[in-house]
Amino acid sequence: MMIFRIISLGWKNIWRNPTRSGVVIIAVLLGIWAGVFISAFFNSLTQSYLQNQLDLMVGHVQITNPEFEDQFNPRYDIQGSGLLLDSLRQKEYITGIQYESLATGLAQSAANSYGVTIHGIDTASGPVHPIAQHIQQGNLLRDIKRNPVVIGRALAERLELDLRSKMVVSFQDVEGNITAGAFRIAGIFDSFNDNYDKGNVFVLRDDLNRLLGKEQLIHKITLKIDDFSRAGMRAESIRENHGGLKVSSWGEVAPELEYVFNSMDISLYIVMIIIIMALVFSIINTMLMAVLERTKELGMLMAIGMNKARLFTMILCETFFLTMVGTPIGLFLSWLTVWTFGNIGIDLSAFSQGLNAYGLDTVIYPELSATYYLNVTLLIAAAAILSAIYPAWKTLKLKPVEAIRKI
Amino acid sequence: MAVIETKGLKKTYNPDKVPVHALNGVDLKIEKGEFTAIVGPSGSGKTTLLNIIGGLDEPTEGTAIVKGTDLSTLSDSELIKFRLQHIGFVFQAYNLIPVLTAIENVAFILQMQGRPSKVCHDKSKALLEEVGLADKINKRPSELSGGQQQRVAVARALSSTPDFVLADEPTANLDSVSSSDLLDMMAELNEKEEMTFVFSTHDQRVIDRARRVVTLVDGKIDKDEIRG
Repeated sequence: MMIFRIISLGWKNIWRNPTRSGVVIIAVLLGIWAGVFISAFFNSLTQSYLQNQLDLMVGHVQITNPEFEDQFNPRYDIQGSGLLLDSLRQKEYITGIQYESLATGLAQSAANSYGVTIHGIDTASGPVHPIAQHIQQGNLLRDIKRNPVVIGRALAERLELDLRSKMVVSFQDVEGNITAGAFRIAGIFDSFNDNYDKGNVFVLRDDLNRLLGKEQLIHKITLKIDDFSRAGMRAESIRENHGGLKVSSWGEVAPELEYVFNSMDISLYIVMIIIIMALVFSIINTMLMAVLERTKELGMLMAIGMNKARLFTMILCETFFLTMVGTPIGLFLSWLTVWTFGNIGIDLSAFSQGLNAYGLDTVIYPELSATYYLNVTLLIAAAAILSAIYPAWKTLKLKPVEAIRKI
Repeated sequence: MAVIETKGLKKTYNPDKVPVHALNGVDLKIEKGEFTAIVGPSGSGKTTLLNIIGGLDEPTEGTAIVKGTDLSTLSDSELIKFRLQHIGFVFQAYNLIPVLTAIENVAFILQMQGRPSKVCHDKSKALLEEVGLADKINKRPSELSGGQQQRVAVARALSSTPDFVLADEPTANLDSVSSSDLLDMMAELNEKEEMTFVFSTHDQRVIDRARRVVTLVDGKIDKDEIRG
């Protein structure tokens, strides 16, 4: 079959100049390796940012009293929260439920004061609050019998407080009166976000509710679900079953996070496309050199009866092989690198201050989906065909007589 | 019917700038089985004539008829097919495909003609044996001498069973022994199989072996000599 002969000829032709072809193959290999690894790194960086924000601050679905959301007035709690919680616990897709009472007020010490959101949480029952894993000193509201509080390191530094120090928190109660309570620091947390650390304190819900003037207050229920990308659909379903409540998906609560999530894939492909574009020019350059230095031979092939379709196919095959030889090796190396660092992690603690300011982890575990590898392969194959068009077109423009005259 | 016939063949290069009249009305008939040398000084139009007869170039005026087909009536793709089926080419610089072995080079033409693999292999092998390269069939051009490469080129030219073989200065790059061997081989093919050969050449050894010598001067036939 002639087509196999043409393919075989194309394959043999790329090895005529092993150094030149080798350089292109290595460039493709390194380009893929670097592109995929960078993509995996940024993918994980973005994922960690998203997960951190969702786990600690936003959750997947939030339920509040609609009035509370507007004014942040503690009077507007979730009515019938007990029944609601029971109902939510029945739903299989819900993997975690956190509930809290909330107030905004002023944290004061002898040295300074700062505006904070006070979270009243339960530690005795239900899942452990996500802030627990960020506690660096002390513990989550244990050991101190009366009015324990957990604050962020940034706030502790600002208010010049330490473990077991006392601080006063003042805020508005459900009647609209200003109230205050003295709290003793049971723990200091250090999350990934300095602003969060400075602006949030955690107390026992019973303590906060007592000061707010109403027991059993719950202002916000935060849900974790099995697939956070389906939060919109789940929120809609809860909204339909529980009228009169504000049920928001994480995308509605934090549209900027949804934008990050939606643009994540595109950003990863943009990185790869830029690298592939650079490779395309390198491949075109190499193939043009290969075609131009073989003008006589290509003219001879046309003279002895090789038609343009076959000539075009041969150049197409050469370009395709040149591009695709390095691709599997590059993909394997990048998979290996991603897998290795995905297990051991990339320690960026040297930049922890800067990373924390943006809510990023200091240890990154790169990862990519199998679909990404597949799509990169398809992109490279498309790039190979794209690279082949110009050199192959140049070949078709050759006049055999002009080539023969040079003989 | 003549294998090749040209009528009033003229070719002018750069007609709009500095015209160069390569051919000035060439009338030539070559019959089957001829062993013809086209000779003449440099610039006399030998290669141009061969290119037009071979369907590689178009005349400015006149017609080139090969096996009854006026080549000017064929499109580019038809010309490529016509060359594949009817004409064998031997080039001065051999022009074998360097990445293919001798037998693959010869079989390439047959594969382009769509012949079955076994036919391609057997015929290529037989042709290489015929040109005295039975023990070199799996060698690449870089492993063969100039004379051996030109023999492969002749075998390749013959593989399609063409109506005639055009050879542009086939001995120009060969030493005297290789030239002599090549000419012996082509003469034998001409005699045994009545294969028509048309050479352009400066080489006196080729001219001495030719049975017909057409001398071109300034794009015209100056002498057309048939030897016994």
